[in-house]
Amino acid sequence: MKILQTKNLVKKFGNKIAVDNISLTIDQGEMIALLGPNGAGKSTTINMLIGMIQPTSGQIIFGEETTDIRAYRSKIGVVFQSSVLDSNLTVADNIMLRVKMYFKHINVQSLINKFELSSIWKQKYGSLSGGQKRRVDIARALISDPKLLFLDEPSTGLDIQTRTKIWEILDGLRKETGLTIIFTTHYLEESQNADFIYIIDQGKLIADDTVLELQKKYTKNILKVVYKTGKTQKMELDNKNEAIQILTDKKSAISDFEYRPGTMDDVFMNLTGRKIR
Amino acid sequence: MSGLIYRNLKIYFSDKSGIFFSLMGAMISFVLYLIFLSQNMISNWSNVPDTKLLLDPWLIGGTMTITAITTTLSSLSLMVQDRERHVLADISLTDIGFLGIQFSYLITAMIVGIIMQLVMYFIMGIYFMIVDKSSMDLQIFPQILGIVILSSFIWTIFNLLLLSFAKKVDTLGKIATIVGTASGFFAGVYMPIGVLPATVQKIMKYTPALYDTAMYRDVLMQSQLRQSFKNLPNSVENKFKEVMGINVKWNHQILTIQQDILTIVVFAIVIAVLIILISKISRRVIISKV
Repeated sequence: MKILQTKNLVKKFGNKIAVDNISLTIDQGEMIALLGPNGAGKSTTINMLIGMIQPTSGQIIFGEETTDIRAYRSKIGVVFQSSVLDSNLTVADNIMLRVKMYFKHINVQSLINKFELSSIWKQKYGSLSGGQKRRVDIARALISDPKLLFLDEPSTGLDIQTRTKIWEILDGLRKETGLTIIFTTHYLEESQNADFIYIIDQGKLIADDTVLELQKKYTKNILKVVYKTGKTQKMELDNKNEAIQILTDKKSAISDFEYRPGTMDDVFMNLTGRKIR
Repeated sequence: MSGLIYRNLKIYFSDKSGIFFSLMGAMISFVLYLIFLSQNMISNWSNVPDTKLLLDPWLIGGTMTITAITTTLSSLSLMVQDRERHVLADISLTDIGFLGIQFSYLITAMIVGIIMQLVMYFIMGIYFMIVDKSSMDLQIFPQILGIVILSSFIWTIFNLLLLSFAKKVDTLGKIATIVGTASGFFAGVYMPIGVLPATVQKIMKYTPALYDTAMYRDVLMQSQLRQSFKNLPNSVENKFKEVMGINVKWNHQILTIQQDILTIVVFAIVIAVLIILISKISRRVIISKV
C-alpha cells in the first residue's frame, strides 16, 4: 500500500534549483534511505514532504489520495537534524507537555519502556549525553503514534553502540507497528538497513533501488591479494569464479587475500564522484 | 494550547538570568531613585509636605510600567528563538493550529507580565513600608490588579508588533537593549515629564507608556495627594500633577483615569490592526524553515 508519493517535485530558491524533478513512491512499512553528498537536496526534499516548505511545482500525495498536508500532519513524526527539544526542561516536561499538544489520548508508558527513558526521566534534557538525547528525540517524535517517521541524519555524532541501539529500536518498531521510516544519513553503511534507497545529487535523483541491486549495478567485487614479496594488488572482478581462478593460479606466490563485494561507499563514490563540493 | 502555554511559562521561569535581565530596566529606575532621584525631587518640592510619601508611590507607578514593557518583551522573545531553532516548525506538526500557536505565546507573555508586575509591586511596596513607613493600601489592590492586566495586555501586543520585524535572535538582544533603556524615559521615571523639552514631551504622548504610568500613579497616589495638598491652593496641586506626570495633559485638557484607559484601548486597536496587516507577510516566515 502506498503511503507517500511525489510527482515531479521541484524546488527553486531564486535561480538555484535545489530539488529537480524528483518522483518517489514509498510503501507502508518500508525503511527508506535518502542518500546524497552535502547540499544534494536531501533536507529540502524532507522539508517539503513534512510541509515545512512549499514545492515550486509538482505534487506530494499522502496515503492514497490526499494532497493536503494539514489533514496528514498528525500522522507524521519528525526528528530534526538539530534538536528542537528544550534543554532547560526535564525529559518528563519535554515529553508530557508535548502530549498535551495533541487532542487524542496517548499512552506514553510504552515509549518510556521502549526507549529506556525512566532512568533519565527527571533529568534536564540539556544535561544528557548525545545518545540519550537522540533517544528522547525519537521517542518524542513517536508520541502521536505516526504512520510515517522522518529522521534527518539521526545518528550523526553518535558512537557505534548508540547507533546500533537506535537502529535496533527503529527496526523493532517497524516490524511491530508497520511504521514507515524515511531517513537521511552520512554513514553509508547504515543505509544497508534500508529496504530501498534513493540517491540524490545536485537536486536530481540519480539512482533508486534496493541495496543489493545498487551494489550489483554500480560496484564490482574487490579482490585484494598480498604476495609473499610484500607487494599488494587490488582487482575489481565481476564474479567469484574469476577470483577463484586467480587465487588458484597464483596460489604459491600468495601470502594472504581479501575478497569482498562492493559496499555502499563504493556505490556512492562511483555515482557521485570523488570531488568535494 | 495549554501544553504550549505551560511549556513557554516553564521556560521563562526556569531561566533565572533571563528573569534578572528582563527586570533590569525596572531595577535601574528603582536604584537610581534610591541613590539620588528622590533627593533631587524632594528638594524641588520642599513646599509640599510629606514629599517622600508622595514620591514613593510615584516611583512604583513608573517602575510597574517599565516592568510590564520589559518582561512581556522578554517572554515574547521566545517566539523568535523558537522560530530560529525550528521549534515552531515542529510545534506546527501537532494539533495546535497556527492561530493557537500565536495565541499561546501571547497569553504566556501576558501571564508573565502580570506575575512580574505583581512581584515588583510587592517588593517595592514592602521596601518603602519598611524604610519610609509608607502604608500599603490593600483597598486599592483590585484597581491595581486591573491596571496590571491592562498594561500587560497593551505591552504584549506592542512588543508583538516590535518583534514582527525581528527574524533573528541576534536582533532580539539589540531590541531588548533599546526598549529597556527607552522605557524608563517614555514612562517618565528617570526624569519627570515636566522637566523635559516640549518636543520630547510631545513624542512621549504618542506611546502608551505615559498613559500606563499615569493610571498607576493616579490610583497609587490618590490618598497621599489628598493628604499632602489639603492645605495648599489647587493650582499648586495641578502644577505638581502635570510636572510629575501623574496626569497627562492634551492641549489644555487634563485626562482622567477613564480617558487614560480609553487612550490605551485605542492604542491597542491601532496596534492590533497593524499586526494583522503585517501578519499577512509574517505568517509564511513563522512556519517556514528557510
